[in-house]
Amino acid sequence: MLKIIYALLSLPPLCALLALSGRFTNTSLHWLHRLTATGVGVLVCLLLAGFNPARPFNSEYFYLDALNCWVLIIITTLYMAATWTARSYLVREEKSGVLKNEQLQTGRYFALMQMFVWTMFIVLLVKNLGLMWVAIEATTLISALLISFKFTRSALEATWKYIMVCTVGICLALLGTLILYYAQIDALGNDKPLSWLYLYEHAAVLDPSLTKMALLFILIGYGTKVGMAPMHTWLPDAYAEAPSLTSGMLSGALCSCALYVLLRNLVILLPTAGVEMMSGMLLFFAVLTVAVAVPFVVVQRDVKRILAYSSMENIGIMVAGVGVFTAFSLKAVMLHMYSHALIKFVLFYIAGTIIQEYQTRNLMRIHGMIKEVSHTATLWLISMLGILGLPPMGLFFSKFYILTALFKEEHWLAGSLLIILLAGVLIGILYHGMRMLCDQPRRPSLGDLLDRLDTPVLAILLLLTCFVGAGFENIPWINNLLNHAVLIIGR
Amino acid sequence: MEFLVVTLMFIVFLQTRIMDLKRGIFCLSIQSALIAAACLAVGMSHGGGIHAFLPGMLTIAVKVIFIPYAILKVVRQLSDEKEIASDINVNYSTAAAACFLALSYVVLDSLLPGVQGRDIVASSIFMIMTGLTLIVMRSRAIMQMIGLITMENGIYLLGLIMTEGLPLIIELGIFLDVLIAVVILVILTSRLRLSFKTTDTNVLRKLKG
Repeated sequence: MLKIIYALLSLPPLCALLALSGRFTNTSLHWLHRLTATGVGVLVCLLLAGFNPARPFNSEYFYLDALNCWVLIIITTLYMAATWTARSYLVREEKSGVLKNEQLQTGRYFALMQMFVWTMFIVLLVKNLGLMWVAIEATTLISALLISFKFTRSALEATWKYIMVCTVGICLALLGTLILYYAQIDALGNDKPLSWLYLYEHAAVLDPSLTKMALLFILIGYGTKVGMAPMHTWLPDAYAEAPSLTSGMLSGALCSCALYVLLRNLVILLPTAGVEMMSGMLLFFAVLTVAVAVPFVVVQRDVKRILAYSSMENIGIMVAGVGVFTAFSLKAVMLHMYSHALIKFVLFYIAGTIIQEYQTRNLMRIHGMIKEVSHTATLWLISMLGILGLPPMGLFFSKFYILTALFKEEHWLAGSLLIILLAGVLIGILYHGMRMLCDQPRRPSLGDLLDRLDTPVLAILLLLTCFVGAGFENIPWINNLLNHAVLIIGR
Repeated sequence: MEFLVVTLMFIVFLQTRIMDLKRGIFCLSIQSALIAAACLAVGMSHGGGIHAFLPGMLTIAVKVIFIPYAILKVVRQLSDEKEIASDINVNYSTAAAACFLALSYVVLDSLLPGVQGRDIVASSIFMIMTGLTLIVMRSRAIMQMIGLITMENGIYLLGLIMTEGLPLIIELGIFLDVLIAVVILVILTSRLRLSFKTTDTNVLRKLKG
């Protein structure tokens, strides 16, 4: 098992080095990129095949249990999708004149993307909370270079905001981690510093006043990285200005990763800080996040920013689900994480394609897509309905479960506020999306914007959310994994 | 140790008054040197070994020498920069720093009464908060970077005193992160200069809503 993990962690940096070496032609670079991702996918499958959720894998530095297994599946799926669609995206990017000196830039892009995914794998696999912090900060830094990839003025602005806000937030998380370490030394002595498993087994003996202080800093710190409301200012800029493949990875993979680290920390703090305090804070931030996103969705003019704010809405729902802290709601959060990541990647990819074709990001200037580019428009419509949480897409079920859990546990205020706000998001996105699709077309039909390979990849992602979201209870392996993941958080 | 703390507080306080970029970087370097001295002193008092000296040596190599050098290299290119606005918030940030100094003692005495190394813990809280105000109130990109590193130094000092240093591998990771962060910020700053002809972040206001 350890060998597979080492192989998994050595492939992406190797590919990054080769891509930077500049000895490859464009085509071979693309194949290198794809094959590395496929190789990693195979290794993850091997890892999962030898993995038993009831008996977590444990070594000196690495740890694998049901929780990080689930996030690992999400990230690997997106990684494969992003690499297999990269070629057609970059070719179109070159055609629209954004990429210059293509070969050099493609190499740099691939190297950064591989390193970005690599840092996320490290976040997931390490056992130590301190190393988790180091890796999360590394994801911020690598993704900053991906966001500013084109070095245009607005990309620079977005990156500067992203790096400043996120680094300050993450520094506060370090402060929280230090306080947790102090609590550990105080209660347990100098043994196994910040090891997650050790802390998990002895979480009940930590000093409550210290863990409450740590909770405050950790929630604010990692909350910044997740994109919770008062600290969200970087999120719409970064998602909107990054190249679309990167936006998809940021919204789907990085957000899940940050939420995973937050969950790992919360589990340690839960027994001593108390469920009431934690769930109160989480529900407050959750409702605030959705409430901040709604007005911006309704008045939005930028096609990628509207998706970014919809990401915030989904983050809010996930945090609310965590805040309820029942087995039912946590399972729904896991499902929501999965469906949101996949659908959001599809949406960002199609949005990027639309921007390349129409040469504008303004929603008001895109009309009649259903007649001009009927094929792309169909996928756009399906994924848009998916993100709004309409059946049969996976998000419907997870949203429904989370709201049910809120009312079941008698969080009446948070539940009803969320329902009202979600109606606002639905109206906003549906209005803008339908305008894009349905108005009078201004130009002749273009056929299909998406490349031959894109459609199957995107369709597979959408189908996966349907299957997993609706039928997770009938797939024993997934159900078993999710049940164990929930047991870890909910004890 | 007392002497060190007073000097450190004075340097951080001075940092809020400085408008000239080169002097600010020099100040940052001295501040990091003081942190390194504290680090070595704590390492010595806990006996020798590699863990006692490596963090201090790394602090000197990374924060005292490399980071100021890298920022200074960007500043040298900025001579042709067009000045948009001077930092009018200097007085506010000094006043805020003074408040924070008092506040950090009050907070510390109410939260952890009678903690050992009270002055050092208070000064590290002071550094964290002052770093934050520098980031929020100053608009020059370089000044914001200095604020970020001041804040990081404060957290590092707090960790050093309260927990006698993190495990070595985590500390190495943190150093690596700080190093990469500064390199990326330096790249971005020089890109800002190329695109906007200035490194004043007040020009970054296109993205809204």
